[in-house]
Amino acid sequence: MSDPMHDRGEHYLTTPKAEPFLERLLFNNRALILLGFLVLTLFLGYNAAKIQPDASFERMIPLEHPYIVNMLDHRDDLENLGNFVRIAVAVEDGDIFDPEYMETLKQITDEMFYLNGVDRSGLKSLWTSNVRWVEVTEQGFQGGTVIPDNYDGSRESLEKLRQNVLRSNEVGRLVSDNFQSTVVYAPLYEKNPETGEALDYAEFSRQLEEKIRDKYEGQNPEISIHIVGFAKKVGDLIEGIGSIAWFAGITILLTTLLLFWYSRCIAGTLVPVFTSIIAVFWQLGALKLLGYGLDPYSVLVPFLVFAIGISHGVQIVNAMAVESAKGFDAVTSARLAFRALYIPGMLALISDAMGFLTLVFIEIDVIRDLAVAAGLGVAFVIVTNLVLHVLIMSYIGISKGGVRHVQNHGEKQDRKWRIMSYFSHPGVAPISLLIAVIGLGLGMYYKQDLKVGDLDQGAPELRADSRYNKDNAFIINNYSTSADVLVVMVKTPEEQCTQYNVLRAMDSLQWELQNTPGVQGSVSLADVSKLVTKALNEGNWKWFEISRNQTIINASIRDAPSGLINTSCDLTPVLVFLEDHKAETLQTVIERTEAFAQANSNEEHTFLLAAGNAGIEAATNEVISGAKDIMLLLVYSVVSLLCFLTFRSLRAVACIVIPLGLTSILCEAIMAMSGIGIKVATLPVIALGVGIGVDYGIYIYSKLEHFLLEGKTLQEAYYETLRSTGKAVIFTGVTLGLGVVTWIFSPIKFQADMGFLLFFMFLWNMVGAIWLLPALARFLLRPDKMLAKARAASKS
Amino acid sequence: MANRFKCATLGSACLGLSMTLVTPSVSALTDIIDIPARDTELAPESLLNDVTRTGDRIVAVGERGHIIYSDNDGESWTQAEVPVSVTLTALDFGTESHGWAVGHSGVLLHSSDAGENWTLQFDGLQAAALTIETKKAQIAEMEDVIEQAPEDQKDDLEWALDDLVFALENAEADMEVGPVNPLLDVWFENNQHGFAVGAYGMILRTQDGGESWQDWSPYIDNAQNFHYNGIDQVAGGALVLVGEAGQIHVSVDNGDTWEKRESPYPGSLFGVTGTGNVNEILAFGLRGTTIFSSDLGRSWTIVPNEGNTTLNNALVTEDGRITLVGNGGAVLMSANGGQSFRAYFRSDRGSVMGAVPLSDTNLLLVGEDGVKFTDSRGKNLK
Repeated sequence: MSDPMHDRGEHYLTTPKAEPFLERLLFNNRALILLGFLVLTLFLGYNAAKIQPDASFERMIPLEHPYIVNMLDHRDDLENLGNFVRIAVAVEDGDIFDPEYMETLKQITDEMFYLNGVDRSGLKSLWTSNVRWVEVTEQGFQGGTVIPDNYDGSRESLEKLRQNVLRSNEVGRLVSDNFQSTVVYAPLYEKNPETGEALDYAEFSRQLEEKIRDKYEGQNPEISIHIVGFAKKVGDLIEGIGSIAWFAGITILLTTLLLFWYSRCIAGTLVPVFTSIIAVFWQLGALKLLGYGLDPYSVLVPFLVFAIGISHGVQIVNAMAVESAKGFDAVTSARLAFRALYIPGMLALISDAMGFLTLVFIEIDVIRDLAVAAGLGVAFVIVTNLVLHVLIMSYIGISKGGVRHVQNHGEKQDRKWRIMSYFSHPGVAPISLLIAVIGLGLGMYYKQDLKVGDLDQGAPELRADSRYNKDNAFIINNYSTSADVLVVMVKTPEEQCTQYNVLRAMDSLQWELQNTPGVQGSVSLADVSKLVTKALNEGNWKWFEISRNQTIINASIRDAPSGLINTSCDLTPVLVFLEDHKAETLQTVIERTEAFAQANSNEEHTFLLAAGNAGIEAATNEVISGAKDIMLLLVYSVVSLLCFLTFRSLRAVACIVIPLGLTSILCEAIMAMSGIGIKVATLPVIALGVGIGVDYGIYIYSKLEHFLLEGKTLQEAYYETLRSTGKAVIFTGVTLGLGVVTWIFSPIKFQADMGFLLFFMFLWNMVGAIWLLPALARFLLRPDKMLAKARAASKS
Repeated sequence: MANRFKCATLGSACLGLSMTLVTPSVSALTDIIDIPARDTELAPESLLNDVTRTGDRIVAVGERGHIIYSDNDGESWTQAEVPVSVTLTALDFGTESHGWAVGHSGVLLHSSDAGENWTLQFDGLQAAALTIETKKAQIAEMEDVIEQAPEDQKDDLEWALDDLVFALENAEADMEVGPVNPLLDVWFENNQHGFAVGAYGMILRTQDGGESWQDWSPYIDNAQNFHYNGIDQVAGGALVLVGEAGQIHVSVDNGDTWEKRESPYPGSLFGVTGTGNVNEILAFGLRGTTIFSSDLGRSWTIVPNEGNTTLNNALVTEDGRITLVGNGGAVLMSANGGQSFRAYFRSDRGSVMGAVPLSDTNLLLVGEDGVKFTDSRGKNLK
């Protein structure tokens, strides 16, 4: 920008007709427009304040996937199957046969009985009357409650208790294998049968902490309490969303400090922060008006919007400071900054938005919501940070300190820019390219290990060392149980779900799966029937078989757990317990199950996949891995197309897009190396990374082209580019990175993963634009031809 | 009557007919009696109901048609080729190479290579057809007897006839369902002669190595068709058969005729063994009941023991020690020929279904959790 007055309207950056019009429209009605903004902000801000956290987990699953369709079709029949909490009460020393321990356990059982949401009839612990021991005698069965009738805590009654526990068959289920803990098992109502109210997971989870864990661990220091179950997990997740408020505060503070350090101008610091926050308010308000809530994914979008707002605001502040340094007044500086930046700014923001919107094609609501939220947010940033920001600054102007900072600082920095301009030097560029190619090769090599799905043990949403996952590990280690369950639904004609052929077919599927790697065990009516048939035959294991006699089958499953038969007896599940939920495990199991279902479904019984957390995850994995390539193709197509439409040159597109591609590949390699799978949370990161990453390239390239068209050599043009916008671009990378880096500390694992990956992509895309773009330009751009073309265009 | 002859002569056609009548016209799964046992590494860890030694080889049978054998004292197992997938309940070798295994759906399997390959010799449908045949013959015979009997005996005989008719109806009903009833134990004298016994008074005898089987129930006094749970030969050559409702039957003519013994116990007896001494019998069953006789069952004493869980099987070792195994991890040991037992309960409380001796005094147990290696008291080695 040697002399802005000499800018001639021969070029797209300064389209003669549109620019003065838009500029005039805005700058001639500044007060009116600001008033409009004020009204809009009040209205949307009011709505934003009303937005509610919304942890609807249905939105996190691919509703159109056949597995999920099947699951939701039969939801009522499966309802109570998975919804329970297990509370393990453990002693540190000794064993559970201790009067104090038993007393605490009794109090906990009572407390659970009165807890809102618990299905009291199904509540089980050593103290409930439904936990019994049974013995076969000559007269039939003999049995009683595991707690001896006249239990009084004496040695004798504890010894009796020990005997009853041993013959109760509850070791491994209700009592741990080492007799150091027992479980209080509480099935929950999805909907309260009396009031019809849905269970409030957050509240329920809070009560578990307050009334069970804190209370009894405090009361009896000998014990520790471990709680697992879907309701507890959801409760912990909702609690985790709350910590986002802290991250927001820290992000804003850090960004403000950084911005001040950058601009040395209070107005130049506070105004972009202010306008970016307004963009966030608008986005939240608009979401509320559109009927959305804030889920654990979209709660991150405001950070992105804020960071994007700041990064564009900084360009404005930078441009104004440069203009002011040349002696223009506030309004003129603002006008010139606007004139220079509104096209590349809008282009960058539009490509951000388009990049986000490609996520709409993934059939998972939470990702679509994310796309809409982010798309809206970026659209608002166009208005707030390209218009509102400039208008406010046109009243205030850059402070003298800020201008001086640009002048002094600029000169001091020149040497640095001079060195960096060598990235475009014919001697350096090939080395850069070589390094890029090696990086590409390494990236391609490592990304082969990239997995789909969640790779860690326990609840994947939460961190491995979270309280929930520690509790989960405790229970898995001490009880015969698995947290990863695949449910295959067996559909039969009405009242036919207990027929011999149905049980036989289920048993056959179970044995097929139990012989599949990754499967720990399985349960269905067939097992119940075999076990009870054995019990009815005086406990003789030789009778452990599904009887062909329907009368015997019916007797054997009369007291089967309700979750295993629905009310009209046309659906019965097979529960398959898996070792983990790694994608390969799921895939093998699903493939075998599919094959079996294909071969063995008929009029009597149809095998339907799939419910259970493993079923949902398998469906999600399938959707995700199918969507990944399409999404990448779309986002790159959109970004390339936008770049092409703007710069009318395939070479330009290559210069901008190739560094992005390198970043995408390195990102996947990093994911593979750090054990992060492609999942609902990380798939959008790739689109977000590309969508936002393209900004740097656009800002750099538009300047570079501008200077090349002034007739400068490539290195000289790049030097000027760095001088005028390099600092802003680097600053943008750092701000965007800061905007997301705080998520790494989120208690929610996938937010941390997103934060980590976005942090990498934002920073590395910036490096790519500054370092690789000029090297590519050295090989791809033909400055002489560009110049000739531009001259020809201006003449005609 | 005409019916009876048709079925007797056209046995298989008759069976085929009844099968097509009951099988619904849908593409149902292949019956497990026709599905070979799946080769699986899980077999040694799954339910095993019986184990025996033949020569240096150990052979065990269990659920899903599992038959496994080991030539290195259980260190490694090979799964035998078995043509069925039903739960198998017992096995016995008549010679070192000829063995029979029995199980649900009334299957009778034979191996002539010491347990490596098994063929299906007989199944529950054939057994049911056989039962129908004998019951009809018995009814005809009874009707003749009643006709000629003096008036004052007729009432009792009518009752007996009713029992037979009832048994026939049951057998016919079973036939419609399929091979419903399990065989629960098997004993072979050599490679020709043996008995297989099971639910609802089923007892089959072969004298030609399983080529043909006869329904031996008419020769045993068990009008109510109680289950037979165990059969064995004791020193001296007598055969002893025990079962539900305290049944004890003894044969001193190698199985031709059987005499019912007065039982000291009304509950189920699950197994029987000799002690090594001539004419001594040890029978055991529900709730740890153990009874001893030194005179082929004419008189009994109840053997006191410390355990009270059901006993399933016995092992008499060369040194004269007797080990009884049972539910809840019970391992009972007697060093005095069955006069008294010391009880030990395994820590896993898993039911034990059978035992064979290993080197020294160690044991290999089988049961609900498959194979376990233990010391003589049933305590896990290592």
